Amino acid sequence: MEFLCFQAAGQYLGIEARYVHRVVDDGEITPVPLQSSCYMGLMYSRGDLFDVIHVGDLLGQQQAVQNENPRIILLKWAGKKLALVPDKIIGMISIKKYDKTQSVYHYADYTIQVIMPDDILKKVSEIFNGS
Amino acid sequence: MDLEKYEKIFAQESEKYLVVLDDLLARVEKDLANRDLWSEIHGKIHSIKGMAVSLSLDKISKLSHSMESWCKEFQQGTAKATPNAVRLLFDGMELLGRLIARKGDIDSLEIQAWYERLSSRFKHDVRASKNGPKSEKPLHTSAISKPEKINHVRVNYSLIEELLGLSQEIMLLEKNFPPFSDEEISLGLRNYIDHYTSMLKGLYFRLAQLRLMSVDDFAGLFVKTIRSLAREHNKDVQFDVLGGEVQADIGLLESLREPFVHLLRNCIIHGIETQDERVERGKNAQGIIRLEAASEGNNLLIKISDDGRGISRPAIIKYLKEKKAGTDEDINRMSAEDFFNTILSTDFSSVSEATDMAGRGIGMKVVSRAIDHLGGSLIISSSASKGTEFAIKIPLSLSVIYTVTFKIGKYILSIPTLNIQNIDRMEDVSQMDMNDFCDLRGLFGVKNNGGKFYHVLKLKGPEEKSGDKKRDGKKLIVDNIIGNNQLMVMPAGELLAKAGIFAGVGIMENGDVSVLLDTDKLADL
Repeated sequence: MEFLCFQAAGQYLGIEARYVHRVVDDGEITPVPLQSSCYMGLMYSRGDLFDVIHVGDLLGQQQAVQNENPRIILLKWAGKKLALVPDKIIGMISIKKYDKTQSVYHYADYTIQVIMPDDILKKVSEIFNGS
Repeated sequence: MDLEKYEKIFAQESEKYLVVLDDLLARVEKDLANRDLWSEIHGKIHSIKGMAVSLSLDKISKLSHSMESWCKEFQQGTAKATPNAVRLLFDGMELLGRLIARKGDIDSLEIQAWYERLSSRFKHDVRASKNGPKSEKPLHTSAISKPEKINHVRVNYSLIEELLGLSQEIMLLEKNFPPFSDEEISLGLRNYIDHYTSMLKGLYFRLAQLRLMSVDDFAGLFVKTIRSLAREHNKDVQFDVLGGEVQADIGLLESLREPFVHLLRNCIIHGIETQDERVERGKNAQGIIRLEAASEGNNLLIKISDDGRGISRPAIIKYLKEKKAGTDEDINRMSAEDFFNTILSTDFSSVSEATDMAGRGIGMKVVSRAIDHLGGSLIISSSASKGTEFAIKIPLSLSVIYTVTFKIGKYILSIPTLNIQNIDRMEDVSQMDMNDFCDLRGLFGVKNNGGKFYHVLKLKGPEEKSGDKKRDGKKLIVDNIIGNNQLMVMPAGELLAKAGIFAGVGIMENGDVSVLLDTDKLADL
């Protein structure tokens, strides 16, 4: 199974390729007031609006890496949309023996934590709800 | 001759004609004596016949010929059109569609019988319905409708999305434009690039509006279904559309398509009585189903109503008592809204109440789920013998409104122009009484940068907006006004909605994003 692997908060994370809509490196993020620090703003791409989340900040990174022109991962799944800003994009990897019950894999020199977009959204929502 | 190629062209062209015919027949159904419309209908059928003749598609050409002859009588006023005549033409059109899809072949007994029945009806009825002398003019010299003006094209929605994507990509090129100095690039070239970019942004903004569809066009999708269902259930139904000019995002309307089929089906099958029943009750034999649309702020309101028998209260009471252990007291305490919303319950069975409720609950859960998914609400109201109304309120996923867009710190925000009473320029706000103001700068944590020039937006008060007595609205201090322009508004989304003061997100003509403030919420701050 194909995964897009990226780095955030010192961890290597993988997200299933089918959830990845696009990766853009020239997206313009519009800041929005009254949001938590992991919420970078809104991005409009090809007729869709994406909430842009800084993954490192979401994962509790003390000093979030701030790139001036970050590469942004656009996710679309089940009618939902989210954009992720990682510290660094590693690339596509293929995990041959993928098991849904397992979330950590070793690939080359990396230990990759597989994450689901719904889990990211849930975590973001929890922060917004103040829990 | 490459016959297959011409057959394909015939099928494509005929399909377009059938779509237009469907609309024309729906219009003439309400204006039976309109000879211009009959002329147009005649012309379209004649075109199909002409193409069929050239391809030797005999069955199609014969059927269209008999339909055409009939229309000619109505067009010339030598026969009087009746609702039944229009229905028969609708039927003929449907059969034409089937035959065209089969390249004129009759491949089943059912279609054979249909073909024979209709051919005979057209031949018979055209004579029976005449109320004047038959035209002596031969068919081929009959008045052909004037050359049509092409003002609509059918475009696949995915193509619009693709074009939007491409134009946005081109716009992004501007953002990556190398920072040439004045020495490196001539003023003329810079002006040319600026003009080019500005045109491109305008193009993008208008392209994005192709995603909007009128409620009229949306309602048109159901005309055939309503007609077929009414005929199948021996009902006579008139379908009225009010507020058809209201526009909404195609994606949103597509999500409503299936729920609307359920609602309309319920109206026809279970709401509207048979013609005899209606006459017995002193009603017009023809029932009315009305689709009424309006935009209210950032919401789309759509009501579907019928003037039928109404939802049976005894059936709901029976359900509440048997399945929900409700007492008379509990039921009496229920609001009308809660009471009728009972029919949305998944276990509201239509079987035992088949004669009473006649399955009113079928598909209603599908309807409520779809509306929930869109973040909307459904209110059902009903009155015995008077009819039922389903009022749906849904946040518009896309609309275009005029807004005043401004900046506070790094934030770009907008307020609907309609909600603004006036804009003043202030040189120094430090001496002003801040009690009148809604302190957005403080709320957003924007530091005072020492700038002395500010603008003050005075909002209309809530009552003022609704036209009642005047009350002062809030004032907002903003850094600078970007403009009073059209904004393409989308819903705020789950995360932004939690902030409680955003009504949506807007895309400006230059492709920039702005957040739309909810003025009602601002009034409460």
